[in-house]
Amino acid sequence: MPERVVTIVPEDGLHARPASKFVEAANEFESEVTVGHVDGESVNAASMLAVTGLGAAAGDEVRLTAEGDDAEAALDELERILTTPEEDL
Amino acid sequence: MLEDDIDRLLPLAHISLSEPPAEKEAAIEFLLDLIADNDRVSDRAAALEALREREKEATTGVGMGIGIPHAKTSAVDEPSVAFARSGEGIDFDAMDDEPARLLFMILVPAEGGEEHLQILSALSRALMHEDVRETLLEAEDAETVQETVREAVN
Repeated sequence: MPERVVTIVPEDGLHARPASKFVEAANEFESEVTVGHVDGESVNAASMLAVTGLGAAAGDEVRLTAEGDDAEAALDELERILTTPEEDL
Repeated sequence: MLEDDIDRLLPLAHISLSEPPAEKEAAIEFLLDLIADNDRVSDRAAALEALREREKEATTGVGMGIGIPHAKTSAVDEPSVAFARSGEGIDFDAMDDEPARLLFMILVPAEGGEEHLQILSALSRALMHEDVRETLLEAEDAETVQETVREAVN
């Protein structure tokens, strides 16, 4: 399964607007996408409650996985959101 | 760490089983007043403004029937959580379009660092469990709500 490890850039972590953009994007792809700390459990990236539950802060490393025809495109977009400073999103 | 702090974070006075207003903005004020009436808010207008700013950035309606409005504000001196629930459900602009029935408010001091994110993520993880949501929806007294949260964030 395609996967990628990404370091979170937005100052407030995966929270508020970046989290909202992230979950919205995860919902736009056909692929099933998960996200989790590299040393922790992964959750459904399309669920705001689940993503909020990660408490992922700036500088944390998370692993993204995607399964489906558009997996690479989904990973590209989710990585872009996680590595873009909040003010540029 | 969080489970030891529930009495301080979410005292019984911050738990309401009365029906809150059916509209999001008014429901947020209803939750804020639970904390303010417990003498923990030095500047209600400032706290409300911080909560509104946060909602403007992105809704705190996290789906699955849950709303968690939260803010960092110098209007509180200690981290505080409030609980209310809506029988009717409130439109919280959630991505899954599910009306919010379980409402938690989190207010932490402006200099609280990452504390609000820790409380927010612990609560969110607890609320992922269907049995926790069901128990909170059916609880008949504030003690049950407090106990359920205490066990669920463990």
